[in-house]
This record gives sequence, structure tokens and C-alpha cells, in this order.
Amino acid sequence: MSIMGFIRKYLGKLWVKQVLVFLIVIIYTFGNLFSPLMFSFIIDNLIEGKQITSPIFLFLTNNLGGVEYLRNNLWLAAIVLVLVNVVVGLCIFFRGKLNSEISQQMSQDIRNDLYNNIQLWPYSTLSRSKAGDLIQRCTSDVEVVRQFFSGQLAEVVYAVSITVFANVVLFSINSSLAIYSLVTLPVLFIVSLLFFKSIQKFFTRFDETEAELTTVMQENLANLRVVRAFNREKYEMDKFSIKNKELSKIDFELINHLGFQWGVGGSLSMAQVLLTTLIGIFFVINNQITIGQFSVFISYQSMIVYPVRSLARLLSNMGKMKVSIERLLEILNEKTEDIESGKVLDIKGDIKFSHVGFQYDDGTFPVLKDISFSVKPNETLAILGPTGSGKSTLVHLLTGLLDYTEGSITIDSVELKDIQKKCLRKNVGIVLQEPFLFSKTIYDNIKISRKDADKSKVYAAAKIASVHDVISEFSGGYDTLVGEKGVTLSGGQKQRIAIARTIINDCPILIFDDSLSAVDTQTDNEIRKAIKSLRKKCTTIIIAHRISSAQDADHIIVLENGRITQNGNHQQLVNQPGLYKRIYEIQTAMKEGDINE
Amino acid sequence: MSNIQFEEKTYNTDSLDIGLWKKILSLLGRSKKHLIILGILMVFMAMLDVVRPYLDKIAIDYFAKGDFKTEEIILYAITYLAVVILNGIMVYSFTRQSAHIESGFMQDLRDKLFNKVQMLSYSYFDKTPTGWIMSRLTSDVGRLAEILAWSLTDLVWGFAIMIAASVIMIKSNWQLALIVLAVVPFLAAISMWFQIRILKNYRKVRAINSKITNSFNEGINGAKTTKTLVLEQQNLNEFKTLTNSYRLSANKAAYFSSAFMPIVLSITAISTGFLLWYGGHQVLMQQMQFGTLMMFTEYATQFFDPLKQIANVLAELQMAQASAERVLSLLDEDVDIKDSQEVIEKYGTVFEGKSQNYPDIKGDVEFKNVNFSYIENEPILVDFNLKVKAGQSVALVGETGSGKSTIINLLSRFYQPTSGQILIDGVDYRERSIGWLHSNLGYVLQTPTLFTGTVKDNVRYGNLNATDQQIIEACKMVDADSFINKLDKGYDSDVGEGGGKLSTGEKQLLSFARAIVSNPALFILDEATSSVDTETEKKIQNAINVVLKNRTSFIVAHRLSTIINSDIILVIDKGRIVESGKHDDLMKKKGYYYRLYINQFNQEVQKQLLG
Repeated sequence: MSIMGFIRKYLGKLWVKQVLVFLIVIIYTFGNLFSPLMFSFIIDNLIEGKQITSPIFLFLTNNLGGVEYLRNNLWLAAIVLVLVNVVVGLCIFFRGKLNSEISQQMSQDIRNDLYNNIQLWPYSTLSRSKAGDLIQRCTSDVEVVRQFFSGQLAEVVYAVSITVFANVVLFSINSSLAIYSLVTLPVLFIVSLLFFKSIQKFFTRFDETEAELTTVMQENLANLRVVRAFNREKYEMDKFSIKNKELSKIDFELINHLGFQWGVGGSLSMAQVLLTTLIGIFFVINNQITIGQFSVFISYQSMIVYPVRSLARLLSNMGKMKVSIERLLEILNEKTEDIESGKVLDIKGDIKFSHVGFQYDDGTFPVLKDISFSVKPNETLAILGPTGSGKSTLVHLLTGLLDYTEGSITIDSVELKDIQKKCLRKNVGIVLQEPFLFSKTIYDNIKISRKDADKSKVYAAAKIASVHDVISEFSGGYDTLVGEKGVTLSGGQKQRIAIARTIINDCPILIFDDSLSAVDTQTDNEIRKAIKSLRKKCTTIIIAHRISSAQDADHIIVLENGRITQNGNHQQLVNQPGLYKRIYEIQTAMKEGDINE
Repeated sequence: MSNIQFEEKTYNTDSLDIGLWKKILSLLGRSKKHLIILGILMVFMAMLDVVRPYLDKIAIDYFAKGDFKTEEIILYAITYLAVVILNGIMVYSFTRQSAHIESGFMQDLRDKLFNKVQMLSYSYFDKTPTGWIMSRLTSDVGRLAEILAWSLTDLVWGFAIMIAASVIMIKSNWQLALIVLAVVPFLAAISMWFQIRILKNYRKVRAINSKITNSFNEGINGAKTTKTLVLEQQNLNEFKTLTNSYRLSANKAAYFSSAFMPIVLSITAISTGFLLWYGGHQVLMQQMQFGTLMMFTEYATQFFDPLKQIANVLAELQMAQASAERVLSLLDEDVDIKDSQEVIEKYGTVFEGKSQNYPDIKGDVEFKNVNFSYIENEPILVDFNLKVKAGQSVALVGETGSGKSTIINLLSRFYQPTSGQILIDGVDYRERSIGWLHSNLGYVLQTPTLFTGTVKDNVRYGNLNATDQQIIEACKMVDADSFINKLDKGYDSDVGEGGGKLSTGEKQLLSFARAIVSNPALFILDEATSSVDTETEKKIQNAINVVLKNRTSFIVAHRLSTIINSDIILVIDKGRIVESGKHDDLMKKKGYYYRLYINQFNQEVQKQLLG
């Protein structure tokens, strides 16, 4: 999608409203231009009795009973003035209403698309992206786009239309005076543009220094113990004061600079009016324009100068928006994962790996190589191996988070790549190493992927994960909020809630990705016992750190450097040389040694 | 303790609390002078704003008639030009004063708050989230500074311009003046009513907006979980509901604020209409000149701006009361743990310690009948007694929540005993200053966090007077020298925010080096449970041995080697010492320690083989 495509996509369906806004702005311009003309009409035509030249006022006068009648009934003019202002008021209201509707609808659509796109990014894309940067884009950059369409665009149109239409009127009154009054406008515009550009670097410096100050604060609070224990309060205070003073200085410079610009800009604008006034006086004396027309010149000048000044700011904002859209497009154009297409099947849990290999597409060394094994339905497989041996990658392949680059994986004899990812993941439950809990209640977290679960089901799952008692001890029980605004859970507690929310789905295949290492041995035992009772119902894969977690499995594979180095059951593996035996021996020997001491 | 939920107090924003703002004004300090100058400037500014329509009137009523002398128009031009230039100068000057106030007040208040934060007791941080304190020092201070620098003066300007314009109008034509002034009460009431609601509406919108940000946060950080549980559709639906409610309430707020101007405009138009009718009639009767009528219509519209400003400022003041109260509450927060007046006189404060008066420390530590509880009636330590001779190392073992950390917190005087005494070299530590204790204390945390800066800066944190040579020596002692030399700028390499550019193990080594340069008599080590690679692990064990040598040390121990090597092992359970002694003796007992040891050992062996 290109920038134009982006605008077409999100503004496209709102085009009627956007066109309406433009029309309203133009009516609004006319409304604003009307009052001075009205006054001019009253002084020139009603009071001084000059010939009416303007077709609008000629029409109005004829329909409202002629000059003489109007002169005696000035209230009619007053009513026209009020009506015009009411129209102007309505324009303001509808402009505001429509602008908000357009910009809010756009930003809603953009946000939804961003959210959905990111959710559907492949796992590999997600792992290499930075969360902070993404959130920044999804919030600030969307806000830049929203702001532009919430009023800035209408302001641009207004600035242009009032400049054009006011000058059309002024030129029709007296072109030479109009030219005099036009000369300084470009100067005003260019000066404003230059000012606006020069202030930007102050803002950048301010933001940078503010970030530095925040870091000092953050580090101070985060390292409070170190600060106190080393008696570095004064040192910290000095560090903070220096940065604080620096920020204050930049803030002063920034505002001071702004003040200079406002002063000069304001004076220039007024000088423009002054120039028109002085020259205008001579035009009036020479009877080139009437008093009323003179007042129109003065009023219009004050009306034009501000929009012209703001035009500079608006143009620069358009540049900012372009950058923001480009940053958003990087998210929106990123390839997403297809979780919908593929075979949907009723999975029993027969898993077969043959000569499977995996390598990241950045061309680094292969993570997994020549992996072959099979697990029958309702059997248990334990995987053991040092950190970095590829255990997690292996189970990620099985859930379709990563796509194997070599060999073949089948589930119930169907090639894994042909299975719909949604179906696959619904059937392969995995408890991740570092589980993420959503900021909802514990209850809602457990039933998050199973909306139809009732209380007894949730409790049962929590009991199996041996977290029911812990939850019951919280003052809020199952309604306790998790996350920033709720309780802080320990790693083990999080882990067990994650187990509960996974087993509640009764998946035919269940994977524990080292999820028992964060709980203590006792709890590990309890959970494993509970899982054992599940085993009859599902195929289980356990990545384990502890031998005790692995020894009951039907099959055990030992993974080292991305290859299977040992394969068998506990009895077989303790009787052959290798990592498994080493771990087992050291552990038992030490235990016995201690007891004999 | 982590289960204590922080509850934010809610503040009253329904009426203006003058007393509160007086307190804030009393914090002005050096900015006071600028605020007064600014007030005066704003009155001048208002005069200039009022003069301009009058100048236009003269042009139309007098000069345009053509019946004037050349000097007069020159004088007029010069006056006008003077107003133009003066206006620019005024705008610049008052902005400059505002700049002084905003930047000055912000700086002073932040310094005050930060200073306060350095003194606050540890218990305060246990119940207050860091984010809360941060936003007091950033957004709340910013908001108050902004109000003082800009909004208050808008009030002055608003009133001045209204008074000045009223005077000119009444002097020129009191009947017309009455027409303009008649609508002012209506406008004032409507403006106030609208401004408050507009601000409240936008607050609501902002609250939903921050929910959206949180949703993005969760969606992105929880994306992997979402995939494995196939929550994509469900999440998107929840998100869509949220963005939809955001759109609806934002639109509602926009309708509301869009309605404000049209209503005001219509009211002003009615008054202008009357002006035109009545004034136009007077012009017709030649009782008044056209320029005067023009001037009046300009004043009629000009009147509205200050009114809106005043309403806006009052509304903002109400809304900002919460910020003011939060800032004041932080400034007024009690400091539980502080030195007595006599102690401060003798040994100075934590900021300005009189180190020449500091007594030398040997390192004997005694806990005497210490009771302690974080929350009343939930005792953590009960009648705790412990004697440690100078130079001994004490390993504290026990389960999470047993009270190990509490003992360390008490010794570091982050907390003080509820009753009982802690004696150092036989003297109650409250008789000597916090500064004295901390300058003799070395501390290595479980999660080593560094400060932004260079490697050298971070090590020197332990002793600000340490020479480069001493720093390098300390790093060599803990075997950190080799990795430091591999960094691109060696000891002058930047460690990144919070030491983010270094690995956990490297950070740990540096925090040991930091403790070594401070050469403390008392040393506290909260051992890390997180795993590091085998080589770093060896280095850390070596570092521990180096640091502990000849120092009284308290260790919350997780490593068997540390435990075994310590002079006394204290097994803590539920705030009491259940077993104590040397490793071999405790093992023979086959009690609590024995079981703990076995567990620990198994875990460690597995970690070695599998980690």
C-alpha cells in the first residue's frame, strides 16, 4: 500500500463527509466575509445614499422594500446580520462534528487494522520487532494522522479560501489598493515558515533532555537501595539538579524563542493592517473608494493575516503526517500469517517427525537438524537437553509458530504444513516458558480460550495446575486482577495459571515448554501427578530440566546442539552412556552421599 | 507485600479550592518576582489590545474625511507604528516572563520533590508504585508550572481588557456600551458551564485512550500467547469494542465543544445586531460617526475572547487541583526513618554528612530483642536475637517470605525495628546517623542494576574519591577487567540505560567491583537466583570470596558454595532462627537445613548440566 492508497483506504468511504466539510468551510468563509460588507452597505448606501453596486445587496434591498424603507427600519439589517452569524455558527458546529466523525472513524479503522495485522504477524516477525517502537507507532503516529483530519485539513482549506475570496472582493472594490495590501502577505508567510522550522530543533532538544531527566529519575527509583546503601543521596540530587537545570534552560530558550516569533509575527501582521489603513486613507480622500469600502479593507486585512501565518505551521504538519503514514505503512504492509486456510481435521495425536530441520531465514547455522521420532496418541514424550539445544524450537515447529525448513512432520499422517493453523493450535495446547497473562481477572484468564467454560471447569483446571489454593488465598479470589493494576504474581504462580488456561481446552496434544522449572519441586511433583491423570486422554510433550519430570515418560529424547543424541525410555537411557545417564548418576549419587553422611 | 494494592486517592474537582492554590503560590520562590512583572505587562498588553479598534475608528471618522493637517497624519502613523512595535515588544516580554516562571518553577519544584524522594522512607516505596512518583515529578509539575506561567496571567489580561474596553465604550457612547455589556453575564455563565464540561469530556476520552494504549501493549507483548491459544479473533473483537467506544465518546465530546462557539457567536451577533440597529440609527441622525459604530462592533467581538479565557482558566484550575494536591501530598509525606536532631547536629544529614565526626567502625553487629512488622499485627520478626562478631560472614537461608530480606532491610536501616535494638559496635545504630551507617555499608543486589554512564562511573559510584587505578584494581579483583577491556572504549564505555548494554553476569561483576571500591566494614549480599553461564558463575563465586574477606557480611544465600563457606548459617523460618551453626554441624542434625540443602543441591546440579 502506498501513501495515496492509505488515504484512499481510510478516507475513501468517508468522502461525502469530507466534501461536506469543504463546502461548509467555504460557506463559513462567505459568512465571515459578509459582516464587513454589510456595514459598508449601511454606511455607503443607506446612510450616504450612494448607488448600490453589489448584486447581492441590490437583490436584498429590492426584496426588503428599497433603500428608503431599510433606512427607516434598520432592524431588518440587524436581523440579516444575526441570521448570517447563526449560519456561521452552524457551519462551525457541523464542521466540528463532521471533522470529528471523519478523523475518529479513520483512526478507529487504522487502529483496528494495526492491531489485527500485528496479531497476525508470523512469530519470527514478532520476535525481531521492538514492542516499544510498535506501540509508539500505533499511538503517536495514528494521533498525528487523526489530528490532521480532525481540523488541520479544514484549516488549510479555510486559509486558502479566505485569502482567495477576500482578495476577490478587495480587487473588485479597488485593484490598486488590493495590490498594496497583498504585498506583505508573502513576506508574512515566508517569515512564519522560517520561524516554524527554526523552532523545531528546540522541541527536539527539549524532548531529548526531558528523556534524559526521566532516565535519571527512573534509575534513581529503580536503584533506590543502591543509592541509599552507598549514601549517594547528594550525588543523585546533584546529578538530577544538573539535568533539571539543563531542561529548565532549554524550556526557557524554547519559550523565549517562541515569544520572539509571536512578537515579530504579531507586529508584522499589524504592520500589514497599518499599511492598508494609511494608504486607504488617501484612496478615500481621492474618492477612489468609499468610507464603507475602506472599512472593508481594514476588516479583511485582520481576517487574512492569521490564517496565512498558520498556513506555514499546517504545511509543516503535512510533512509530519507523511512521515507518520510511512511508519504506519511499514506495519500494515508487513506480511501476515495465514491461519485460516488448510485442512481442518479431528486430531487424535499421532505425531511423527522425519528428518526435520530448521534454520532461520537470516542464514545462520541450523537450529535443528535431522530430527526423527514419533509419538503415538496418548503417549508421553520428554525432551531433555542443555539451554540452546533447540528444545523450544522443536515444539514451536509443532504448533506452527515456526515453519520447518527440512523434512516432514505429520499429525495423524497429515503433513503439518497442510493443516489449518487455527485448527492446529486449537488442538496443540502449549504452555510457554514465559507465559503472558492478560490484565483481566484470574478467572477470565483461565477461561480465556474457552468462553463456554463454567465455574466448575475453571476450578477443576486450576486444581490440576495446583494453583487453586493459591488463588483462593488472594483477597479477591478468582476475581483478583492480574497485571499492572492488580496483584504481582510470582513466576511460578503465573506459570501455573498458564497451565490451567491451557489444560482447560482438553487438547489432544499438550506441550509443556519448560513450564515447570519456575515452580518448586513439591509443586512440580503435584502438577506432574495431575498431568499423569490427563495423559490417558492426550499426547503429552514435556520439555524438562529435572530428571524426575522426565523419567515416567514413554519416550525420552536428549537434544544436544540441535540433534537427537539419545532416544529411548528411562530404563534404556540410564543404561547407556550419555548426558541422560550423567545427570541421573550425579543426582542419585549426590542424594545417596548426603543421606549416608 | 507485593499483594498490597496501591489505591489512588480521588480529589475534588467540583469547586475551586482557594487555600490549595495559595499553598501552591507559596512555592513560587524566585518566580514570584516574574509573576508580578508578568501581571503588570499583561495589563499593558490589554491596553494595547484595546487601543487598536480606537485607532481604526480615528482613521475612518477623522482622516478619511480628508480634513486634516499633514502633521496630524504623520503623528497618527507614528502612533500606530508605535503601537505595532510596542505590541511586538510586549508579546515578547510577557512570553519571556512566562518562560522564566514556567522553567524556574518547574525546576525548583522538581528539585524539591526529588530531594524529598531521596529522604522518604523505604516503606513509602513499598506501597507507592514508581510510576506514580514519576508522574508527580513530570506531568503534575509541568501542569502546575503551565498554569502559573500562562493561565493566571490570562486571568489578569482578561479582566484588564474587559475593564479597559468598558471604559472606552462608556466614554464614547454609554447607550451602545450598555448593549454590548448586557450580554456579558450570559456569555460568562455559558462559557463557564461549557468549559468545565468540555474539559471533563476530554478527560474521559483520554482515559479511554490510555486503555487503547494498554491494549496495544498487551496485544504486542502477548502476541505469542495469542497465537498459541488462537485468541486472534476474540482479541480483535475486544479491541474493536474499545476503539468503537473511544470513537463514540470522542465524537460526543467534539459535538459538545463544537456547540460552544456557535452559541456564543449567536449571542454576540444579537448584541451586534442591536448595535447596528440602534447605532446605525444614531449615525443616520448624525449623532454619532460611523467609525465609532465600527469600533463598538469590534469591541463586542473582542469582549468574548477574554471571557472565554477566564472561563477556561477557572475550569483548568479546578481540573488541576488533583495535580496540586498530589504534589503537595508528596511534599508533605512523613519521613518515618530519620535521624534525631542531636544526631544530625553531630553527624550531619544524608546530603551533607559531617564525615570528620564519623566514629570508626569495627563491624560487630547485634540484634537485641528485635520485633518487626510491615503491617500492624502481622509480625515478621518476633523477639529476634543475633550476635555477629566483626569479620564474620552470616548466610541467611530459608524459604521466600521467611524473613531473610527483612533482616537485611533492618540492618541497612531501610526499616527500623518496631521494638528492640540493633547495635553496631555495641551502640544502637539510631544514635549514629543514617549517613554514617550507609557510608560503611556495601550492598550487592539480587538484580544488579547500573546507572547510565561509563563503566568507570558505575564502579566509582561506590567511592566518589576512588582513583582510576583503584577502580581498575577492584575490577581486576573480581575478574571483570578482562571483559571491560574487550568493550570498545574499555573503562570509558557506555553501559547503556540501566546497564542495558551489558549481560546480567557482567552487571553483577561490576556491582561487586562497586562494592569493593567503597571498602565497607559491613557488607550485604542478596544473591541472585538467575542463571549465568558457567564461566561467569565461577567469576562471581570468586568475586564473592574476595568481597567477603575480613568483613562482617550478611548474605541472602542461594549458592551452596557461598553457604558452605560462611562462618554462620542461619536457617530462618517464619521470622525465627530455627537452626544455626556451621554447615557440617547442621548437616549432621538432618533437620530443616539438611532438607533445604538437598533440594538446593539437586537444583544446582541440574542447572549445571542443563543450563
